Parts: sequence; C-alpha cells; structure tokens
Amino acid sequence: MKIDAALVSKVATLASLELTDAERSEMAEQLTRIVDHFEALREIPDELLAGEETPRAMPLRADAVEACLPAALVEANAPEFSHGHFVVPRVVTRD
Amino acid sequence: MTELSPAALLEGSFIALADAIGSGRVTARAVAEESLSRVEKSQKAFGAFLSTDPAATLREAEVVDRRVGAGERLPLAGVPLAVKDNINVAGRPSTAGSKILAGFVSPDHATCVARLVGAGAVVVGKTNCDAFGMGSSNENSAYGPVRNPWNPARVPGGSSGGSAAAVAARAVPLSIGTDTGGSVRQPAALCGLVGWKPTYGRVSRYGLIAFASSFDQAGALTRSVDEGARAFSVMAGADPKDATALTTPVPDVAAALGWRLEGKRIGLLEEASSAEGGLHPDVKASFDRAAGTLRAAGAVVTTVSVPRVPFAVPVYYLTATAEASSNLARFDGVRYGARKGEASLAALYRETRSAGFGPEVKRRILLGTFALSAGYHDAYYGRAQRVRALLARDFAEAFRQVDAILCPTSPEPAFALGAKTGDPLAMYLADVFTVPPSLAGLPAVSVPSGFSRDGLPIGMQFIGPGDAEPLLFALARVLEGASGVLARRAPGAVS
Repeated sequence: MKIDAALVSKVATLASLELTDAERSEMAEQLTRIVDHFEALREIPDELLAGEETPRAMPLRADAVEACLPAALVEANAPEFSHGHFVVPRVVTRD
Repeated sequence: MTELSPAALLEGSFIALADAIGSGRVTARAVAEESLSRVEKSQKAFGAFLSTDPAATLREAEVVDRRVGAGERLPLAGVPLAVKDNINVAGRPSTAGSKILAGFVSPDHATCVARLVGAGAVVVGKTNCDAFGMGSSNENSAYGPVRNPWNPARVPGGSSGGSAAAVAARAVPLSIGTDTGGSVRQPAALCGLVGWKPTYGRVSRYGLIAFASSFDQAGALTRSVDEGARAFSVMAGADPKDATALTTPVPDVAAALGWRLEGKRIGLLEEASSAEGGLHPDVKASFDRAAGTLRAAGAVVTTVSVPRVPFAVPVYYLTATAEASSNLARFDGVRYGARKGEASLAALYRETRSAGFGPEVKRRILLGTFALSAGYHDAYYGRAQRVRALLARDFAEAFRQVDAILCPTSPEPAFALGAKTGDPLAMYLADVFTVPPSLAGLPAVSVPSGFSRDGLPIGMQFIGPGDAEPLLFALARVLEGASGVLARRAPGAVS
C-alpha cells in the first residue's frame, strides 16, 4: 500500500509529532516499503486465524491505597513544578 | 590465605570472583576500583557507557565488604554490574539512549537491579543502548554508536549493545539489558557472550522503561553459561510491583547445569535454512556443527517446523510498534525529561516530542499509530495479533515433538557500522530468529557456538516451552564447551 505524505501527516498529528517536509517524504517512502513487506501476512489463509488469543489473563491487584513516590523525588525530575503540581501552559482561557 | 589480584579475577568467572570476595581474599572495593578503570577505557574505545558515578560505586562496594565482614553469604558478592540505560538504578540517570529523557534521575531501583544489588552486585555504570530499546545495532542511540570489542569497525548488536560491549571488553563480568524482540540475545551473539530472555513474566519489569509491554523482558549478558544461570536465579521471582510477574516457583537452573543430554529431543528449526536472505555461510556451518555436538552428547536431533516463523518479523513490527506508540505517549514534557514549546499544551507536547525523539523512534511511533488507526487497524494490527496467536500454537505443536528448538541467533555475524542504517527494513529482518520466541512469550538462551572465518563470534539460540530455562542452560553449556569461546579474549578487551 502507498503511504503518502498526507497520510504521514495525519498519523504524525495523531502521535503529537511534527515533521519537516524532508522527514515527511523520507518517512512516506520508508513506511511504504516496510508496510509492503508486511502485506505478506495476507498470504495466511483466514481459516487458520480463527479465534484471537491473548497469552495470559492480566491479574488484578487489590484496589487499595499503597505507598507512592515521595513528592520531592517527583518534583526533582519535573521540568516545572509548583505547590505540589506540574505546571503546563494555560489550558482554559477566557475569550 | 593468598590475596588475589582484582585484574586476574575480572578475567575469569564472576562466580570465582564472588567466592574470593565472600571469603575475604580480596575486597569488593579493590575489584570495583579495577572495574571502574576498565569502564573508563571501554567507554573511550567502544562508547559502551553513558554514565558512571565512581564515588557511589566505591561506597556501594564498601557496603558489600561490610556485609561480607558481618558473615552474610552473597551469591554475587562484589560482582561489578553494568546496567542498560533503560533500567532504573536509584540516584543515577536513565536516558534510555534518548535526548527526551535528558536530566532524568531514577527515584528508585528496578526490581531486577534491587535483587542483584541485594545479592551483592555493585553497579559500576549505565550502558549505551538504542533509544528506548529500538534497534539491532546500537546505532540509534542519541549519544553515539557502540563498537564491537571483537572488531571496532563492526556493530555490537542491539539494542543492549553497550551492555554486550562492556562484558566482551572485560570491563565488567555481568551486565543486564532488556529484550523486547532479541535485544539481549542478538548482541550477546555478536559479541561472543551468553544472553538470555526469560519466560514472559519470570523476571519483574518494575523499573524498566517500557517499549512494548507484551514483549519487554529483562535478561543478563555474561561470558559463560554458569554465570548466566546464576544471574537468572537472582533476578527471577514474583514481584507485587509488576502485575505480569509470575508467582509460580522459579525453576532451579543451578541444579540443571550438570544434566546429561541422553534422550533429550532437539529440533533444528527447519525455517532457519530457508530464511529470507539466507544464512551467512559461516553461521550455517556453525549451525551444522552445533547439531553434531548435540548428537555426540547423546541428544536425539531432528528437524522441526514452526511454519509461521517467516511471518514473525511483520507480526512483531506491527504489534511492538503499536504498543510503543501507546507507551511512549507518556513522554510529553510534563512530568520528566526535556521540555520545549510553551505556546499551548498541544504545542508543548508536539515540540517536546519532535525535538526529543530520534528518527527510529519517530518511525516506529508512526508505524504503530498507523497500524492502530481507524481504517487500518483490522488489516494490520488486528491481523498481526491473530497471526501471533497462530505462531504460539505452532510452537506448542513443535514442543509436542521436541524438548527444545535450536536455530542461529542472528543470520549473520556482526555487520559493519553504517551497513544497514539507510535501510530500516533490512535492519528489522536481522531479527528474524529472535522475535519468534518473544511473540510467544517463550524463554530463549543465546550461546557462543564458534567463530566466523574472519574471527567474529557466532551465536546459537535454544528456545523452549515456558519454564524450560533449566534445560536451555544445560543445552547451552554443552555447546559452550565445544565452541572454545571461553579460551578466547576479544582483541579489544581492556586491562
């Protein structure tokens, strides 16, 4: 299948990535080649693929409060932190 | 009692080294000093390390000396340990080989690190790796490539290339890495080492920086099988911090090391001989010799087919990248790592990620996002999941016929730096034999089986059903004995 620059742009937007024109065109070419190779999966007859399996059921832990990282350690790694919160650009604005 | 030289001990098995420290014939501090000196040399020669903290290492070695002095018996007393930079060590940086995590300092130990340190290991440094474990040559690190101590013009494999080079260069006798689709086993093979991945869930993943959660496992790289088995015994076990960690008893690999092979049924992977692009002739010759060695040891060697192996690379790269696109969404400049762009929250996410991720990570996020996106999900991700289940059934059928499967770990010995960087698909195809057991959650051990005509190591991989680690280590030990690798030192090894 042909993955063109427009599809790469759409997927990049979904992934919160910004690409230059050169990156977009290189990715389109490389992803087309990769996905073309992966089309081999269509050779497997559908009747062999009946029933999707997961390797193992995910166990659940008790829904109980447990110790977590001390706030000071979290703050030490945060790009911007104030009054116990991560700081990000304003999300809600008044128009 | 004779005092032993740390330099001589670092040339041998860490089992003897731990015995020497445990019996007071040498101190953990003296061994740590020697190892730190070698780490510096191996960093200069091969780019194997991303960070060290000599003062912390020496303090931790002194703690081991005090524990030994107090009578504790430690299976890894004073063993210098290198840790891949996508595994957390408390108080040290974890970059995962990416600029996006620059400045991040781990708040606590990964569980596998805590177990190794609890057993007496001393962390001497964090090793270079392909960013987020994405690569087969260690050329996708934001901090430069790693070179192979057997030939510095060749890659060490990846993504745990720094961990492999550190052991092959004899800077440390033990390193750990993560193995999502072969990232411990393939560099082990290319650097003449033993490398294992456990049964899915046997080693806790708490503290590993996630790439693809239905695959990621921690494993170890060592020069010998006995050392690899000891690392497994220490690292394996249940962990309340990891919901996927198995709670069943850990198989006893130490007891299995002396097993005799009479009557064990070994299947040579039929699809190995017909792999796309073929096997390198030296790898093919080593595969044939390995079969002969196993027969001579009394094993019943036949051929076995796992018919969907030729589809494993597409299945792996569709499912693992889909999982990566979700796991790596957490790197957005808000809670840790680098940050860029303040115009809006969306701009902050976009600019942070675009500046912080390298080309291969972006490529995989795009591929995974594509495979999951509306209109393409069923044809790509959905179909790959169904083929993955079929491959697992293929393995289950094969293990009705044989006890373990043998195939080369890599279709070729270490390739030249730059040889595949312009062709991502060619790089992905190098994983043809390592991804099948990862897709089925099976344990696998790579062991050196010999050398190419130009002196590069070749590795063979034993794959078993879940919890077959004891048999896999026993089989690997037989090949190791015949390979002569333990008697050879990488030409670039430091001293």
